[in-house]
Amino acid sequence: MAGWQPLECKRKTILTAAGETERYLYFVLEGIQRGFYIGDDKQEATIVFTYAPSFSGLADSFLTQTPSKYFLETLTSSRFLRKTYKEIEALMNQYPNIQKMVLQLTGFVLKGVLERQIELQCFSAEEKFKSLLKRSPHVLQIIPHKYLASYLGIDATTFSKLLGTVRL
Amino acid sequence: MKKYKSLELLEQLQADTRQLILEANYLKTTDPGILLQEPAPGTWSVIQVLQHLNSYGNYYLLAIERSLKQDRLAIDMFKPGWLGDYFTKLMKPNENGAIAYKMQSPKDHRPHSRPDAFPVLNTFLEQQHYLLELLESAKEKNIGSIRIPVSISRFIKLKAGDVFRFLIAHEQRHFVQIENTLVTIKGITNKYPAILPAIQR
Repeated sequence: MAGWQPLECKRKTILTAAGETERYLYFVLEGIQRGFYIGDDKQEATIVFTYAPSFSGLADSFLTQTPSKYFLETLTSSRFLRKTYKEIEALMNQYPNIQKMVLQLTGFVLKGVLERQIELQCFSAEEKFKSLLKRSPHVLQIIPHKYLASYLGIDATTFSKLLGTVRL
Repeated sequence: MKKYKSLELLEQLQADTRQLILEANYLKTTDPGILLQEPAPGTWSVIQVLQHLNSYGNYYLLAIERSLKQDRLAIDMFKPGWLGDYFTKLMKPNENGAIAYKMQSPKDHRPHSRPDAFPVLNTFLEQQHYLLELLESAKEKNIGSIRIPVSISRFIKLKAGDVFRFLIAHEQRHFVQIENTLVTIKGITNKYPAILPAIQR
């Protein structure tokens, strides 16, 4: 991981604000992060979670270098390695394999986003809940349930009811 | 006096600024009628507080931009000046989000009586994004040797690092006021205390 700058943040640190263009690609060594959008009536929509060991940053804003519509914050104290867009761009220009890797990663992210789109549009609250726990059961232990409810687009009370009744 | 690693200080100030952007986004979703309401006769509405902050932004952001054009390369450690440190500590709310010393605003930074809500909020947000960019370019500069004249007298100059510190502390101070104002008007505890975590760091 040569040339990656280390970064440590306390919990509830905003890494990128809505209106900013994402400057960094992060690799998460420790901690949980959350991307969220603020809509009317103070409605918050949780867009994405990231945690170790994987990448973080507002991927769409990063790749397009256009302003983000949503925020990225740390939910717990976090440690990262990060690289700027310019550095990643230079690497991609120099090494075709890195470019291939970024493309493939983007592809998997897109696949995940579209599958989630299907769930949000077609699944009932219970189905969404089951699907999340089947895909990533560990999130129940590490992410506060109010954020998981917001991620699924269901009420916090509905979420805790499901938690008590649903057999997996 | 406490020394700071320049880069860490600037990144902390960027995180604090982003917290203010978050809070301003919450305000944007609040009923403008509430934002324009004075909690008591002769006290400021939320929008008037923001107008007051914008009037400082108008002066300082340009002054900072101008000063950062100087060719002075970054230093590892930043040592606050005594006056800059004093101003910052005077402004900054304490860890419980309480304001220690109340003060009167200078006349030319008092808001006018009938502002429009959204233009004021949008100007505030634009200024915060501008501030984020200035903090970013300051990472390449010597924030200890570049000096900026303060708004009350061009004969008093503070280190650029200190101007960033007290400008943001001043904003945090007034966001505590905004949160208190909203609590008074709505009679509820604030649902989104976005400023406190930033101060408690």
